[in-house]
Amino acid sequence: MLTEDERQRYDRQIMIRGIGEEGQEKLKRARVVIAGSGGLGSPVAIYLTAAGVGTLRLIDHDTVELSNLNRQVLHWDKDIGRNKVDSASEKLRQLNPGTKIESIRETITDANVKRLVAGFDLIVDAMDNLPTRYLLNRAAIEGNIPFFHGAVYGLEGRAMTVIPGKSACLRCIYRAPIPQEKFPVIGVTPATIGCIQATEVIKYITGIGKLLINRLLAFDGLNLKFTELTVRKDPDCEHCGHLRQEDEK
Amino acid sequence: MSIKIDIPSYLQSFTNNQEIIEVKGNTVGECLAQLIKQFAGMRKMLFTKDNRLHGYVSIYINGEDAYPNELARPVKDKDKIMILYIIGGG
Repeated sequence: MLTEDERQRYDRQIMIRGIGEEGQEKLKRARVVIAGSGGLGSPVAIYLTAAGVGTLRLIDHDTVELSNLNRQVLHWDKDIGRNKVDSASEKLRQLNPGTKIESIRETITDANVKRLVAGFDLIVDAMDNLPTRYLLNRAAIEGNIPFFHGAVYGLEGRAMTVIPGKSACLRCIYRAPIPQEKFPVIGVTPATIGCIQATEVIKYITGIGKLLINRLLAFDGLNLKFTELTVRKDPDCEHCGHLRQEDEK
Repeated sequence: MSIKIDIPSYLQSFTNNQEIIEVKGNTVGECLAQLIKQFAGMRKMLFTKDNRLHGYVSIYINGEDAYPNELARPVKDKDKIMILYIIGGG
């Protein structure tokens, strides 16, 4: 049940066809992991908090640096040197005290990833490197947890939603590592992609709209162009190939 | 027979800042060979030393993933090949 305050706070989104009070209650019950509290994690967390998602678990091992501030909008000048999850939690709690924020300051590894996502309904991939994205993708597949991918480089971005066993996963379409490098980026790119990820999460939780499954959305900010690419499950995928085989039995 | 290759912005410095390059060819491999003939710098961006596509390069034909055996995929007049690099930043 929503409280009277909640009805007021979320009035405008409750008006959206398909959301209503029932959808708002689903958002309130939802438990979402956001892996990464940087460029992508900031807009994802802000919009999911504002929308009234019940519980957010923020995971990030990093501290705020001056060079983060052009894009990681949850962190401000005064936060330099603080843990990112503490800096982010502080603002999110002020934005919406109704959202429970859990801060986990850990590096996501093969050894701890299952524990970090256990008991949560969705995982948002807001990482800044491919190896950790692969760890999360595998944990999502193994835990049957929907996975919301986003990535950026310069003025380009990508987004895709993975429903384990039903759609292509990250490993189906990204088949190799990329060289680790300091990547160029300006805040508007992760803001755009992070908002798309948050949109997908809200749609999934409330059960409305058409998700970005088997569709990779490529954003080209330089030419202000969105391209939708059709992707398929790889039957030989090392992460989800076995699920396909099970589907076909 | 004209095939358009869509060059991502981060590779356009290798194509004199051109976003679309028109080539002729019956397969993706032939089209990419034509692209490299015009812009030699693209070779190392697309291919390994033993002439395989880098693992972080994806090829789409008319918006559909061409994996696997991308280079052998046939293309026809007016098809569009899109080159996509894996990105991982956040």
